[in-house]
Amino acid sequence: MTRIGVYVCHCGLNIAGTVDVEKVTEYAKSLPNVAIAKHYKYMCSDPGQRMIQDDIKAHKLDRVVIATCSPRMHEETFRKAVAEAGLNPYLVEIVNLREHVSWPHAHEPEKATEKAKALVRMGVARVKLLEPLRRRKVSVSKDVLIVGGGIAGIQASLDLANAGFKVFLVEKSPSIGGRMAQLDKTFPTLDCSACILTPKMVDVVKHPNVTLLTNSEVIDVKGFVGNYEVSVLKRPRYVVEDKCVGCELCTKVCPVKVPDKFNEKLGQTRAISIYSSHAVPKVAIVDPDHCLRLKLKDAKKEVCGKCLQACEARAIDFEQQPETVQLKVGAIVLAVGSEVFDALEMPEYGYGRFPNVISNIEFERISDASGPTGGKIVSPRTDKQPKNIAFVQCVGSRDKRFHEYCCRVGCMVSLKQAILAREKMGEDVNIYICYNDLRSFGKGYEEFYRRARDLDVNFVAGIPSDVRMAADGSLYFDVFERGTNKLLEMHADMVVLANGLVPSADIARINELFHASRSSDGFLLEAHPKLRPLECSTAGIFLAGACQGPKDIPDTVAQASGAAAKAVDMLSSGEIELEPLKAVVDEDLCSGCRVCESICPFLAIEMKQEGEKLRAEVIEAVCQGCGLCGAACPTHAIKIQQYGSNQVLAQVDAALAEAQVKGGSRS
Amino acid sequence: MSLVDSMSMAKPNLESRKKILAKLRGRELINCFQCMKCTSGCTALKLLELKPHEIEKLVNLGLVDELASSDIIWTCATCLKCVERCPQKASPYHVIIALRNLAVEREAKVPEELMKGISRILEIGLAWSFQDVVTRKMETFDRESLRLPKIDSPKESFQAAFMKALEER
Repeated sequence: MTRIGVYVCHCGLNIAGTVDVEKVTEYAKSLPNVAIAKHYKYMCSDPGQRMIQDDIKAHKLDRVVIATCSPRMHEETFRKAVAEAGLNPYLVEIVNLREHVSWPHAHEPEKATEKAKALVRMGVARVKLLEPLRRRKVSVSKDVLIVGGGIAGIQASLDLANAGFKVFLVEKSPSIGGRMAQLDKTFPTLDCSACILTPKMVDVVKHPNVTLLTNSEVIDVKGFVGNYEVSVLKRPRYVVEDKCVGCELCTKVCPVKVPDKFNEKLGQTRAISIYSSHAVPKVAIVDPDHCLRLKLKDAKKEVCGKCLQACEARAIDFEQQPETVQLKVGAIVLAVGSEVFDALEMPEYGYGRFPNVISNIEFERISDASGPTGGKIVSPRTDKQPKNIAFVQCVGSRDKRFHEYCCRVGCMVSLKQAILAREKMGEDVNIYICYNDLRSFGKGYEEFYRRARDLDVNFVAGIPSDVRMAADGSLYFDVFERGTNKLLEMHADMVVLANGLVPSADIARINELFHASRSSDGFLLEAHPKLRPLECSTAGIFLAGACQGPKDIPDTVAQASGAAAKAVDMLSSGEIELEPLKAVVDEDLCSGCRVCESICPFLAIEMKQEGEKLRAEVIEAVCQGCGLCGAACPTHAIKIQQYGSNQVLAQVDAALAEAQVKGGSRS
Repeated sequence: MSLVDSMSMAKPNLESRKKILAKLRGRELINCFQCMKCTSGCTALKLLELKPHEIEKLVNLGLVDELASSDIIWTCATCLKCVERCPQKASPYHVIIALRNLAVEREAKVPEELMKGISRILEIGLAWSFQDVVTRKMETFDRESLRLPKIDSPKESFQAAFMKALEER
């Protein structure tokens, strides 16, 4: 004979403020097989849990129903508690009285109490039919793949490598460093970006636990948490990494000029070059789209070859081929970063038409000592030092035409650039920042904002509708200033657009490749916005940095360390426990129709040939227990553990039982 | 110049702005971030529509000339609430006083009542003359009839020092 204990939680006043918990408890006592029913202020607290444990022993309970908050919140807590008392943890049923009853029905307490009773009745009916389940353990690979070599990927790599894990760091471009490498100084301390980043870049490449794959891209991901099989395409550099010493003799002789990508195309480099002055690895790379020899290779002509002659290390190899590297890893950290909004999409500010309208990332390159102007703030296309600089905030952000979200860095970037301009050019320049709201929320950020005001940066509360160019090439625009209620006509010889951060161009491909999800803003979606911010909904995949949402450097580094710690937490024991609430296939009923295989969003179903018959098989570690296959199976061959037809129908019957008593008809 | 008020075509006067900023050392106007708390609590706003935050911003942008010749700067009751409560220690009171100084320097018209106040200081040592008290029965009493102590006229040395200070302005 089943003996059930029912426990009704007050959740302070969250539940008890609406639902009459005493009535519900009394009602539970009247239900069949219920041996004991109790209510308590905080069931999840230590005394609450102990009460359940004591009752299990004293009253020989073999099933427990807990009417409390959402199972997302505390199902795991109560499973652990009953397991400690010797009960199988899967013989607990959580009834959600908070999210499903007291919160949505706060205005109708009597009906809420009735609903609570019904839900408890359903829970009791269901708990009788639950089956004891066991968690299976699988062994995992302790290696970790990190995708993206910006500051997020670098930080996560170093943390994991220092913890003793082997790390594969895959970077698309020829050097690690990412967006941060392009910045001049960083807010709010004005540390030089290169000074704080370069040592970390060198640490990564020198670390014995890190394998660095630059100029490479992940092209395929198979497997599941703990056992991912990843294919990485390593594109040819046409320079042997071990031989190249980074002397740049080849660059000096190369006759082909190409726009310098690292410098936002403000300067030029050569078809064979080193990516940036502090590139890691400091190895040259040939641009196959521009190199004369590679372009004419198909024509079987050997032209140019000046670099071959110049290279004393004999490192250049035009015969290099793309290579595919196979990796087996237990966890993956996605740190693919973001891109800067392209202001060409927004014609009103004249970016691309007016030479003196520049983007904030271009300003970084101009201000940087290693940039195309050697750190002198001059208009990159006219070579003149500006006397009046205007910053325009929220370009592409907080704009329903482009991106509705706040870019979270634009205000601070403009404050920093205004301070840099004041420091470099002194009193000779007038600086204006046209803003919506100035958001300086981080540690030390408000003080940084004050510093900008102290340095006589002028803030204009209003955003211009458009920017126009006068005959002499100078820029002017109207802006209505909220503080003074005046329409001001502003003249500037440099307008800097505070472009926001947007998801990287290949985010869709990354999303598909790793079975991640994306939020409505286009960035990768975390498993829970507050409680699981570092994880993807796919087990074993973690998120770090701006690929999850726009982020500044401090937040990115913190998230990267957090993601690394999460990976350590998962892999350190060498095995993981799998949740048993998965799909199971009844082999006798399976007709091999493949409907389940086509419908599974996690690719957890494999078809197996057994003699003449084709059968579906569930890869337990991949299955998330979503139930789609069970609903779709035409022969009812697939069952989701604990959600079989009998278990669900018992609940339906219980739900309708009272309706019958009240005179309703079931037919 | 990098800015024009499109309504009045006024241009910033950076020289005067600089002068005002120099007077405000330690009470930095440029720290104002336009929370408008000063205007929310301004005594004169309720009576005369003085908007201190606008004055702050206009001076910050260098649009000083119009202000220096306007009546609005003289309506401040100098209650000092804004000095007490400004979160950025950039209160408009000091800016308004600096603007008044600038106005006097430029020999702009100063409200008559204020000029009278100055002559009263010279005569009796106070900005306002003694008032008679009126009872409910509409009887009036002066200080003498109320047997209040007599207040002496200022000494000559005070008058001389006051005149000297005025001339130095």
